[in-house]
Amino acid sequence: MLGFSNLSLSNFLFWATQKRWFIYAIIIGLILILLPHPQGLSEQAYTSIVILITALILIIKEPIPLPAIAIYILLAQIYGGIDSADGIAKAFMNDAVFFIMGSLMLAVVIIRQGWDSRIALGILKITGNKTSNIVFGFLSISAILSSFIGEHTVAAIMLPIGMTLIRFTSSDFEKVKNLAAAILFSITYGCLIGSAGTPSGGGRNVIMINYFNQSGLSLSYFEWMIKIYPFVIIQIPIVAWIIINTFKPEYKILDSSIRKLVIKVAKSRSMTGRNTVTVIIFILVFLGWIFFSERFGLGTIALTGVFLYILGGFVRWNDLSRHTHWGVIILFGATISLGTSIRSTGAALWLADQVIMLFGSMMDTFPFFSDLIVIMITAAMTNILSSSATVAVLGPITMNLIPDMMHIGLVTAVSSAFGYFTAVAAPACTIVYSSGMIKASDFVRLGARIGLVSILLLMIYINTYWLIIN
Amino acid sequence: MKILIAIGSKHYSEPTLHLGMKVAQAFNAKVTIIDVGEKISEFSSQLVELAQDQMESWDFDPPGVDVLEWAFNYLSDNGLIDSKQIETGFPKNRLIDDGEDRKLVYLSGTVCEDVNLILRNGDIISELREEVQYGGYDVTIVGKSQKRNMSHDLLQYINSSILVVNKYDTEKFNRVLLPIDDSPGSMKAAKYGIRVALAYKIGIDIVTVIDNGVSTDDADNLNVTKIIKLIRRSGVEYTQLEEKGDPVEKIIEKANDDKIIVMRASNMSPIKRYFKGSKPLSVMNKCNVPILIVK
Repeated sequence: MLGFSNLSLSNFLFWATQKRWFIYAIIIGLILILLPHPQGLSEQAYTSIVILITALILIIKEPIPLPAIAIYILLAQIYGGIDSADGIAKAFMNDAVFFIMGSLMLAVVIIRQGWDSRIALGILKITGNKTSNIVFGFLSISAILSSFIGEHTVAAIMLPIGMTLIRFTSSDFEKVKNLAAAILFSITYGCLIGSAGTPSGGGRNVIMINYFNQSGLSLSYFEWMIKIYPFVIIQIPIVAWIIINTFKPEYKILDSSIRKLVIKVAKSRSMTGRNTVTVIIFILVFLGWIFFSERFGLGTIALTGVFLYILGGFVRWNDLSRHTHWGVIILFGATISLGTSIRSTGAALWLADQVIMLFGSMMDTFPFFSDLIVIMITAAMTNILSSSATVAVLGPITMNLIPDMMHIGLVTAVSSAFGYFTAVAAPACTIVYSSGMIKASDFVRLGARIGLVSILLLMIYINTYWLIIN
Repeated sequence: MKILIAIGSKHYSEPTLHLGMKVAQAFNAKVTIIDVGEKISEFSSQLVELAQDQMESWDFDPPGVDVLEWAFNYLSDNGLIDSKQIETGFPKNRLIDDGEDRKLVYLSGTVCEDVNLILRNGDIISELREEVQYGGYDVTIVGKSQKRNMSHDLLQYINSSILVVNKYDTEKFNRVLLPIDDSPGSMKAAKYGIRVALAYKIGIDIVTVIDNGVSTDDADNLNVTKIIKLIRRSGVEYTQLEEKGDPVEKIIEKANDDKIIVMRASNMSPIKRYFKGSKPLSVMNKCNVPILIVK
């Protein structure tokens, strides 16, 4: 056909099939661009909304590599006339991107320090051998740790502990399916719950703090914790109870498996002086986040920790570079720059106005309705997109919904942790899912219950506790 | 001759591996057994890798290694690999990452040439296509998938002959069904059919179908005569049938549930085939027996 060989035609068809979502996104984008833009919306604002729509399609379907999506977002903004190349580049790199980069690098160092053995012993000392207590213990420790060192790091540390306990209970997986689901979900959901607790729990929190700063608002590490941490504490026993009652474990007592685990841990290498120094450096980073993050930024402090680890020879650059997903960092930079464009062009305000026009009467009658809408939209997007990307693109829009930007911004950040329904919602979910011991349908089954309860709890929480502390 | 056998799980892949190794034996081929694991979202891929490194320090194998270990045990139990390797067990520590997004281990075979085990992650069609291109395989052997479009994608995009193992039962499997016509591809299909028949010591049923009264598969055609001569010379017992009607229906009817179909791939252009489908694709989708589409 037209001089093309069958092989080249076949190669083209394969390319088109693999990239079909990219083709759809571009076609949708072109059609939207050719349509007249709505009244009250500038051409730049309309273009930024079109880029947002196409970028969301690309991020959800991943037809091209993440760095390519990032480059597309940057190019589309420049060629779309939203801002100059310098303007887009400025919005591309900020403290939130520093934080995501630093947090991914800190994970590489922390995971390799052998903290897992100590954590395993710590959990078992507290919980004893009762399965329900162990599930509660796994969930609590995962939640508390992930508040400070990031959910992906904690999931990677906790997963082998959980899997070892399951394997020691029975080598026949069919006999411990429910136990496996209960333990592994306690790790996953513990990580998700805890990640909202402090600004350093996840990149999305830092992105939101960044948006607060851009709007002239300020929220310290401590103030964030005072507002959000009680919600983490409230969720822990409730979620543990739901997990235990959804996946009723086959064994109520895990006596022999715990003994085996304790023996295994006892045989593992003991903490060295170097391990202790890594802990000390992390504590310094943590103190830096608490006391100096408002002045220097969370990302800068995270990178200081990384710098100290490299300087002290605790990690090799090759190792850091190999395990740091630069594509993800570039993509978050691009989505943050898009979020900034949506805000600066007035698109965020226009989109927020559309929501108000649609639900305005309900929002007037029931003041909590705007919270509910934000929670539902954020939770839905988190489950199909990713929590950080959700906050990056939704943050500027939701912050325009009601006058109290801080309130609605925090609601967005907290509900972006409700990635209970899918294995792709957050790295913690994907890491635990990759064990092969839980199914995608289990996420839906358990996530539906926990998601519903969490939404209700958050609604009650923000309309009671926040009113009291404010 | 190089053969790629795609396996997916310990529970469903035994027929695929069994038939695959039998075919490899027939062709004295180099065999690669591949397990393609689930695609990991790019957002978390590096973190999952980091977590898997951590799991290895707790003596957990990365996902997919258990499937390769099962394949190794199957090969050992059936004496398909060198006895020295059987004694040492599955060489997990020799499973190397070759920098091409795949992990592999080399074994030496007994009944066929080298046997390699490979682990990849991602979209099954993309990974198989890449592996076929990389390794220059002649035949790709897969189990039948319930996924819509899988057969279509295999035929459309994998640049090798395709053997789809479908409800394979060694006890019932007693003839090769060889639908032929006047196209040059039929000769190649016949050569493959003869090798399979010789390996299994079974006969061949040659079938030519006259579609809607128009003889598309002329039994008197020179090409058909050549094929029959070739089969006769190979010493394989054969029967020759001529049918009238819809070729797809007739082939499925003749295949019953006790034959392996060996037929040529469609010679339509890829674009036409993409939109219209093809007879081999229809047969592949509808039949209940193993089918080898020769490209």
